[in-house]
Formats: sequence, structure tokens, C-alpha cells
Amino acid sequence: MKGILRTKIPQALDALSSGAQVLAPMKINGVSRFACWGQQGELVLGASNTLIPPKDAVFGQTEKMYKYQMGQEAVTIEEIPQDGPQLVVFGIRPCDVRSIQALDQVFLTKGFVDQIYKTKRDRSVLVALGCSQPQQTCFCSSMGINPLDADGADVMMWESGDTYSLEARTDKGKDLLAKLEPFLTDVNNSSPPSPKFSLEFSMEGVTEKLQKMFEHSIWDKWYRKCLGCGICTYVCPTCHCFDIQEKNIKDGQGYKFRCWDSCMFPEYSLMAGGHNPRDSKKPRIRNRFLHKLRYFPERYGMLLCTGCGRCLRECPVNMDITRFIREVREVTLDV
Amino acid sequence: MSDTVNKMRELARDLLAKGEVKYVIGWEKGTLWFQSPPVFITSPDEVDRLVFDDFAINTLVTYLLEERGHEGKVAVFVKGCDSRGLVRLLQDKSVDRDRVYVIGLPCSGKKDPNQAMEMNAGDASQIPLAAKCQECTHPNPVISDVTIGDPVPEKPNQGRFGNVNELEAKTPDEKYEFWAQEYSKCLRCFACRNVCPACNCKECLFDSTRPRVLGKANTLSENQVYHLTRAFHVAGRCVECGECERVCPVGIPIMKINKKVIKDINDLFGPYEAGVDLETAPPLGQYKSEDPEEFM
Repeated sequence: MKGILRTKIPQALDALSSGAQVLAPMKINGVSRFACWGQQGELVLGASNTLIPPKDAVFGQTEKMYKYQMGQEAVTIEEIPQDGPQLVVFGIRPCDVRSIQALDQVFLTKGFVDQIYKTKRDRSVLVALGCSQPQQTCFCSSMGINPLDADGADVMMWESGDTYSLEARTDKGKDLLAKLEPFLTDVNNSSPPSPKFSLEFSMEGVTEKLQKMFEHSIWDKWYRKCLGCGICTYVCPTCHCFDIQEKNIKDGQGYKFRCWDSCMFPEYSLMAGGHNPRDSKKPRIRNRFLHKLRYFPERYGMLLCTGCGRCLRECPVNMDITRFIREVREVTLDV
Repeated sequence: MSDTVNKMRELARDLLAKGEVKYVIGWEKGTLWFQSPPVFITSPDEVDRLVFDDFAINTLVTYLLEERGHEGKVAVFVKGCDSRGLVRLLQDKSVDRDRVYVIGLPCSGKKDPNQAMEMNAGDASQIPLAAKCQECTHPNPVISDVTIGDPVPEKPNQGRFGNVNELEAKTPDEKYEFWAQEYSKCLRCFACRNVCPACNCKECLFDSTRPRVLGKANTLSENQVYHLTRAFHVAGRCVECGECERVCPVGIPIMKINKKVIKDINDLFGPYEAGVDLETAPPLGQYKSEDPEEFM
């Protein structure tokens, strides 16, 4: 098997950067995220998953959509080119690869193709890193994810001692490894040990049960301590709601942009006439949990939670989806 | 189980059993050993969930805002910092004193949950105090109906503005560079606002859609509008509880600008600490003939 020495990785990323935009897990000014290689920051490949999820590689927090010019009689629209060089996402974890698969469902299937997303996604190559040391907040195995092998990766990578072994999974992946050839050596790494999780539970029957729990009293207990901030939705690798707004510059010129939105905010569900169908924390919390565990599985056949543990780690009041799931499993429903 | 926690549970049980309060807001053990999140206890059977350990760091008083427009009394536990937040809410007439049963808890400081996560020591004694607790000037509640436990010795008020001196030593360009770097990290999750006892407006101007005061794009200039407006809005009202900085997921040093504003207010209007008593009005919320007026 081919592999790369840990010490050669910066050089390899430098080389890839000449013909591609390379995104790698970096800690910059205290925040870990998938950032453009070449910026000042520390590569944090072996550490926990990044605070900011890699979804912004294909679905940016703020993305310009098109420019407009309002004339006397008509409006002129000018497209904003979304093309660019290849996008190498290096060191993405299997949980985060799954999240991109969930975004693919939203932005590319059921007869809707989002061109902005598609352009970025088509340009992307995912180099996934098998995860053998989960954090205390990790629970991907309970969400049906193999932490050592990412379905959907173009290249799979595993750490062993001072090397990373590499295996191409797609043609895009093979091309990428070909470019890395000068840095590769033959390695004989044994397969990494199966990681142990401190958080483990069964998801069996949870979606079906939640279909009968819209009016259940569990929500009355769960919403109260929520602060109503947007941390969980913004650090979530699968949350994908966005708002579309415009920026007027001058003389009828401006542009439309879209930006991440959060279902935890009151404005999210505010309607033009002033009515707000989710006017308090309870329906908002219910919507977020049901979207992850019921609505998304109903529509796309997969969970909208990957067990990455970011919300569990970052929520200031410990609104813990794993505890919620366990409580749902313990609920006895009247037949 | 510590004596304090036993007394907390007894009192909560008593208040709920007699129907004196609708619910009690306290802390319970969370998912991980370094998490002690807020809990709402509504029945005497549930009081054994209450804890008061090294990680009971959250302020609980901002939840009292949700009682606006309702009736009945609620009980809330307050540490020294939290009690100053409560004074803030009472002075701003956002909470009705008659509707809160305040249970004071002297506090010698809470441990930093983020450090606990990183060190994974499994033992709180190895975890340092949270940043906000290291600068604590009021470990004992300044307002309460009843206090559980003995008062904690007050620490000398040193270094209240230590961080500010460092900031003031920068040139204007360096200051701009510093804050631009920090504010560019902002996710605009609004956790700092939502947890703040000084942020108690019924509708926040940043939530206004007509007119839209704050553009929704995550850009440096919009983030600056948010952070600077917020800092000025809590000027003279910030009780220095440090909750904003604690909850910030990207580590923006929000207290640094709050303290700079507080220091300026102290320099202009004389020594002042917000939320330490109900009688003293905030310097920017009153007029005195001796107020400085160099600009007139």
C-alpha cells in the first residue's frame, strides 16, 4: 500500500495547492476549521474534528448568487461565475463525509439541482481520514457510520505511527494520488484498531416512534433550558437552512446573496404578514430534533445527524441529542 | 453529597410541596462529567436532580425573562455573579422582585469546562478556574431571600482592568487589526446576547426585519456593527459576569471590550460596579450636575 510520511504532508499540500484550492483542518486564531492551505495557522490533522464543520467548503456561510441592475423599464441580471479550481478537502472525517452526502440529497436530488452547490461539489475531491480516537462527545457509530471507512470518500487515509496510508476509491481519487506520487512511499501499515466510543445507543425504531410524538409531553421538558442561540445549527455539519437577501449598493445596482440561517431564531419562521407559526422555543426545538431524526429520514432515507458531537461539545446548556434519543426510546406510547 | 446540595434539595422540595413556587431553576448533572447545565424542577419528586458542583457555571437569571407576561412565583439559585445579573434585571424592571424567590449560594469559583474537555482529566481538582471566575469580585450573592452556606472570603480586586491596559497600549491601527481579526471569527449565533442579563429588550434591534438594522451576511463590517452596538448598549449596565465570553464558541474576547467601556465609565463618572445594589442607578441612566461635559 502507498503512504506518506507525516513530515511530508505540508510539502504535499504545497504541491497540490499549485493547481487546486486545498482545504485542510487548521487552527487559526483559536478556531479550527477547514481553511485554505497556505494561510498562517496550525495543521490539526490528528486532533478532534474541527469546530467549524467542512460544509462551508460546498455551502458557504455567505454566498453571492447574482448581480442585478434595475433600469427604467427592466431589470438586468448578471450571473456570478461559481467555477474555480479543483477543491481538495484534505483530512475530512467519515462523520463529515456523511454530512456532505446529506447535503447532496438536499441540493442535488428530488428534481432540484442547486447550481451553486453543484458547481462546488463537482470540483471537490474528498480525502478522508479514518478516525481511531473518538472524542468523549463522538457517537458516529450509533448513527450508522464506520469511523474508519468513509463511504463517499475519493481517497481514504489512515494514520499509523509516523505515516498515513492512502487508498484511492474513485477516479478523482486516483488522479489525486498520481499528483502526490513524488511524496509517496510503500508502507505496510496494519489496519487501525476499532475505536471505542463512550457514547453508544441504538437508533432502532426512533424515527417511527417520533412519527407519533408530535404532541408528546417530552417537548415541554426539553425546550426550557435552550438559550435560543444558533450555536448548534452553525456548528452542525448537516444543518443547511439558508436565507436569501439582497445588498443594494447604489443607483439600482446590487447583488443577491444567500447565508446560513438558523431555525432557532424567531425571525426564521416569521411570515410577511407578521404571523409566526413557530413563535416560541418549544416548536423550534421540536422542529430541529424532528428534522434530524424524522423528517429527513422520511424524505431521504437517511438520518440528518452524523454523531460528530459538535453540538454536544459546544452547546452552553447541554441540549444533548443523544440524551433526547435515549429518552425517546424509553417513552411508552398509548396504543 | 455535600451539605449545601442537601440543603438546596430540601429547600426546593419544601417550596414546591407548599406550592410557594411554580418551579425551581437550578443545575443538574449533564451528559459529561464536566457539564452541569440548567434544570427546571417542577415537582418535589425531581429535586434530587439538583447539584452544585465545580461546573455549575451557567447563570440562571436570564431565564426569568421568560416569565414576562405570566403569573406566579419562581425560585432561582444565584451565585455572586448571577445575583448581580438579577439586580440588573430588577433595575431594568424586566423582572418583578415579588415573583422571584432568590436562593443565594456563596461561590469560590467554577472550573473551566473547555479545559476539562481538552485535558480529559476526569478529576475537577486538576482543572483551572474558568476565566470569568479568576477575576471575580463578588463571590457572595448581593441579593437573596435566603442563603445556603457560609460566605466566601472576598478576593482583593486586582486585575479588574488588567486586560484593558494591554488593549489601551495598542495604536489605533493595532486596535483595529486586533478587533477585525476577532470579529471576523464571529458566527453570528447570538449566544453572547441571549445569555446576557443586560440584554433584556423585549425585541432586540438585531432581530428587527423592518427596518433591518443588521445585514444578515456574515461579513466583517456587519459583525463589527453587531459587536460594537452590543458593547455600547450594555455600557454601564454590564455586571461583568463573563457569560458572553464563556458561551462564545469561537472565543471572541468579548469581556475585553466590555471592561474597556467600564473602565472609561469609571474614569469619567467615578468608581462604579453595575448590579451590586438596587439603589445606585447606572451612570449612563441618570444625570448629575457634576457629570463631565468637556464636549459642551
